[in-house]
Amino acid sequence: MSESITLGKSEVRKDAWEKVTGAAEYVADIKLDDVLYGAVARSSVHHGRILSIDATAAQASPGVVRVLTAADIPGEHCFGGLVPDQPALAGDLVRHYGEPLAIVIATSKAAARKAAGLVKADVEPIAPLLDPVTALGTDVSKLHEVGNLISRYEIKEGDIEEGFAEADVILEETFSVPLVSPAYLETENSLACWNADGTLTVWVSSQHPFTDQLEIAATLGMPPEKVQVKSAVIGGAFGGKEDASLAILTALAAWAVKGTVRLVNTRQESFWAHPKRHPVQFQFKLGAKKDGTFMALKAVAHMDTGAFASLGPAVGVIVTETLGGSYRIPNVDLETYVAYTNAPLAGAVRGFGSPQSHFAIESMVDMLAAKLGLDPIEVRRKNILCEGDKMFTGVVVNNTANSLPVSLDRAQEACRKFAAIPPLPGKVAGVGMALVMQSMGLGAKVPDDSTQRLEWKPDGSLLVHLGAPDMGQGLAMAAEQIAAEAMELPYELVNTVGLDTSSSPNGNVSCASRMTYMVGNTMVEAAQKLKAQMLEQAARLLNRPQESLSYSNGHVVTAEGEKIAVKEVISRAADDGIILQSESTFSFPYPEATTPQHLPIGMPHVLFCFGAQAARVEVDPELGTVVVTHLTAIHDVGRVISKVGVEGQIEGGAAMGLGYALYESMDLKEDGRWVDSFTEYLIPTSKDVPTYHENIILEIPEESGPFGAKGIGEVTVPPTAPAIANAIYNAIGVRVKSLPITPEKLVKV
Amino acid sequence: MQEFDFFRPDSLGELVKILDETGGQVVAGGTDVIPRMRRNLFSASILVDASNVTELGFIEEKDDQIVIGAMTTHQEIADSALIRSANPALAAAAASVGCHQTRHRGTLGGNLANASPAADTVPALLAFDAQIWLLRKDGGRSMPLGEFLVGPGKTKLVPGELIHSVTFSQLSGSWGTAYQKLGKRNGMAISVVGVAAAVVLDPAGVVRDARVALGSVAPTVVRSAGAEKMLIGREASPRAVQDAADAVIADISPISDVRSTAEYRRHAARILTRRVLLQAIEQAQGRLA
Amino acid sequence: MNSIQVSFEVNGRPVTVDSLPNRTLLDVLREDLGLTGVKDACGGEGECGACTVIMDGKSVNSCMVFIGQVEGCAIETIEGLAKDGELHPLQRAFAETGAVQCGYCTPGAIMAAKALLQENPHPSDEEIREGLSGNLCRCTGYVKMIEAVRCAAEEMSHV
Repeated sequence: MSESITLGKSEVRKDAWEKVTGAAEYVADIKLDDVLYGAVARSSVHHGRILSIDATAAQASPGVVRVLTAADIPGEHCFGGLVPDQPALAGDLVRHYGEPLAIVIATSKAAARKAAGLVKADVEPIAPLLDPVTALGTDVSKLHEVGNLISRYEIKEGDIEEGFAEADVILEETFSVPLVSPAYLETENSLACWNADGTLTVWVSSQHPFTDQLEIAATLGMPPEKVQVKSAVIGGAFGGKEDASLAILTALAAWAVKGTVRLVNTRQESFWAHPKRHPVQFQFKLGAKKDGTFMALKAVAHMDTGAFASLGPAVGVIVTETLGGSYRIPNVDLETYVAYTNAPLAGAVRGFGSPQSHFAIESMVDMLAAKLGLDPIEVRRKNILCEGDKMFTGVVVNNTANSLPVSLDRAQEACRKFAAIPPLPGKVAGVGMALVMQSMGLGAKVPDDSTQRLEWKPDGSLLVHLGAPDMGQGLAMAAEQIAAEAMELPYELVNTVGLDTSSSPNGNVSCASRMTYMVGNTMVEAAQKLKAQMLEQAARLLNRPQESLSYSNGHVVTAEGEKIAVKEVISRAADDGIILQSESTFSFPYPEATTPQHLPIGMPHVLFCFGAQAARVEVDPELGTVVVTHLTAIHDVGRVISKVGVEGQIEGGAAMGLGYALYESMDLKEDGRWVDSFTEYLIPTSKDVPTYHENIILEIPEESGPFGAKGIGEVTVPPTAPAIANAIYNAIGVRVKSLPITPEKLVKV
Repeated sequence: MQEFDFFRPDSLGELVKILDETGGQVVAGGTDVIPRMRRNLFSASILVDASNVTELGFIEEKDDQIVIGAMTTHQEIADSALIRSANPALAAAAASVGCHQTRHRGTLGGNLANASPAADTVPALLAFDAQIWLLRKDGGRSMPLGEFLVGPGKTKLVPGELIHSVTFSQLSGSWGTAYQKLGKRNGMAISVVGVAAAVVLDPAGVVRDARVALGSVAPTVVRSAGAEKMLIGREASPRAVQDAADAVIADISPISDVRSTAEYRRHAARILTRRVLLQAIEQAQGRLA
Repeated sequence: MNSIQVSFEVNGRPVTVDSLPNRTLLDVLREDLGLTGVKDACGGEGECGACTVIMDGKSVNSCMVFIGQVEGCAIETIEGLAKDGELHPLQRAFAETGAVQCGYCTPGAIMAAKALLQENPHPSDEEIREGLSGNLCRCTGYVKMIEAVRCAAEEMSHV
């Protein structure tokens, strides 16, 4: 393979410079004139019937311009990613602590917050439902019209009874994982400006500006063309910003006062009211032959989607699809329930159901190996999916599954290396690993197009009109590198335009580990079109036949070998009023021939990222404290676009997985309030991540991907917690089946 | 944030005078006052800033006494060569508070006035029988630190009174001290259990004096008389240390909260006490020569 | 509540503000002085370090300093790091090692690192971790941030 121009290299992302100087403008930093401030009055009960909301004291408070309640909403009262069940402002029912009741708009932040505290809501409390199993019982309050069950998934393949009958050993276990916050550093916020011409401009920190546009328009009863949504610099999202709440509230406020309003959530509000990772309770029954071959899996998952559906039904799909992990299991009986409760809403959070399932299945595999007296890696080797295998969803895995045995080998080597390291005095060391199979895409039968435009400027540089936001992960850089590579131009010559719904193409939601893949594919196609346009223009201007010309590295080359800089062609075409620009739309492929059609919408997923992580822990056997000293992460990305970009996703994802394993849980405290601050909700600091972190990046090209590239955004989170759990078991023989694995769970007191 | 009037005296005299006249509350580093005011756990209609009263920022040696001014920061205590040699447990405790940003602002006086049972500096001070010196317009008074700390967030401070300094006597002979703290994570860790111990051995290796102080396991930081009794007069053996560690249970009353359970805190208190005593004894034995 | 007047220095330039006293240095920097490099990520509880500035040579969380306490002090923010259009080695190192993803924690982390290197020009990896432990990051897992500080320290020690 010839040396690439930019692929595989570590370029510097172009927005790094404004970020290291403090010049980057996040929503809260945008400087406009005459900005009013919004503050949201929120429920301080978990569940209740709203008898009245009295805003008189708030309205009379100094600096207050207006107070809005649900009664003031001109259009749709509810919104939602999949199901429009989430009121922008609560109407007759409060369904969770911290639910928005009213918006106060005032001349200062302090005045708005003070007045928000003066809004009096008369709420008749109803006993809250805080557990999904209870919520699905009989004789409990109905949280929504549809009841408390929003989704149920069931997959049955083979003959489960026969499968268990043929098994030599059967293991039955339960697992549970808690409510977890994406905990991006920039809380949800938005800035909206009512323009003199009756249009609205809204700056968002959002993964889906085009969806925000539609939701805002619907709430205000306006045509979407009159709503312009602009993407500010985003301070992290991880799925939690696939939620239009703040954009809608801010737009509503700006519309109401016909002015400019900024609304910024506090960290506390972010904990209370924005999407979390679903808590799940699992019941697993795994049957295997004594040589470790998996025969049957029966699993039931109860998911708590909280007060509103958000992306819960879709998360339920992935929970279901990942219950069997990366393995070939001939007989399965899988059931997933997604239930409403009065907990904070759960929705899209990095991994989207897969971190939860992987904790269960990857722990289960090690437990089975222990029961059989076999090496857990060899048990995996026996059962991993191979190219051509059919999953229980009916999907046949392609050749990229060949990264599974390689991942297993690398993980085994890492475990051996780690196992040879003696522990510090007084500590016990252990090693463990876990495999991961993370799907890409939104699932079959969900329309999924992403459109981008590529523009060739007269100075020869390229402008990427990116239709989906870079939430910090480096999507713009990946797009630029792929465009540069496809156009045979240096990376420095490619830039990205900020996302603005009034001028950008619709690139769809930034999520589901598919952005490099989809955006990248549009870049490749747009590049081909641009190069063709270039030759067409060159032919016209040079008065030569197009077939006699070719393109190479920023030059048009004639049959005689004469080189003309593209700059010349573009400028002269511009003189004639011709702009060189191409557009490309990529649809996530679900070829009918190979995609099972009998499953519910969103099922199945057909493209996967594979990998493994191996961890070494040191446990203090008396105190139960755990230090993760080493982590090796093995991930197949098909083709590395940005080396630092891929490494950054692995290092950050593993840290998130480590927090999930050991520290993070949004508990309900004795005072009846949720854990709602970084004082009590602990994410890893620089002293908590392993001092040894190794990345092993595999490249088994994905045929349908841009230059063979696949996704990396989510796959790095699911294996960490089970690898750590397995390492802890290896160290001290204690198996913990609920996260987080705290010292209290590791010692007998 | 609450509304208040703000004063910033330039001298100790002025600070005392303003406190007397206004009945206001002192803000030192702000690392407890500000978050607590945001959550309405601390109220003040008048705040008097002590951060410009440089007379209160000092670490001195007066004969065998160490004196630390109330406005000395945790970082200054952690970095002080004098504290590191006279009370290494205190230096270690101060170094374990939060992170650099917290330690650069948080003060000893603030830590004591806040009176959290998890206050990192208190066990190592109690283990050294520290005295606290209070000052108000009418004059000063002192009392043992253990008496000053009454309950969670409660001290013996009266209106118009401020913390001036803390003193403790240096140990002599074959002495050793240690502090260990258990947090829920490695960085920015609030104490789940914290134990400081100091022991003094006689030339035969028998424990002449022992102090064991535990934090986060009772409404205030406490000394364990039971543990100390188990050691004094005995040879500094692993058996004696285990007995002492077991004895702390009777002297503590931990609660279950968002950080941990009462049962685990009891369990950890016993283990940390044993480890801290062994560390202190080893240090003391090193001085036996 | 009476307004107070506070005079101090920001990035080498004298500044005087009139402010209600219950505002913090973070509030004043962002809202009165337009220096929005400092961020509020934890609600002003001193738990995240995104608001880190250098005050009289020491890293502090600006959300935990009342504005009145800044009288007479010298404050350095991220905006003051670059000199004559040249980026500070820490800024370059963060950008070039890939230590910047969403960037929200970046200004605070760079200021914390600068303060660390001022006191300890040759920190060990352990000391760098300790020095950054008050700055939460959710994107990077800290690996490249630590590498960036190491690189900058190396470069700065040769000057």
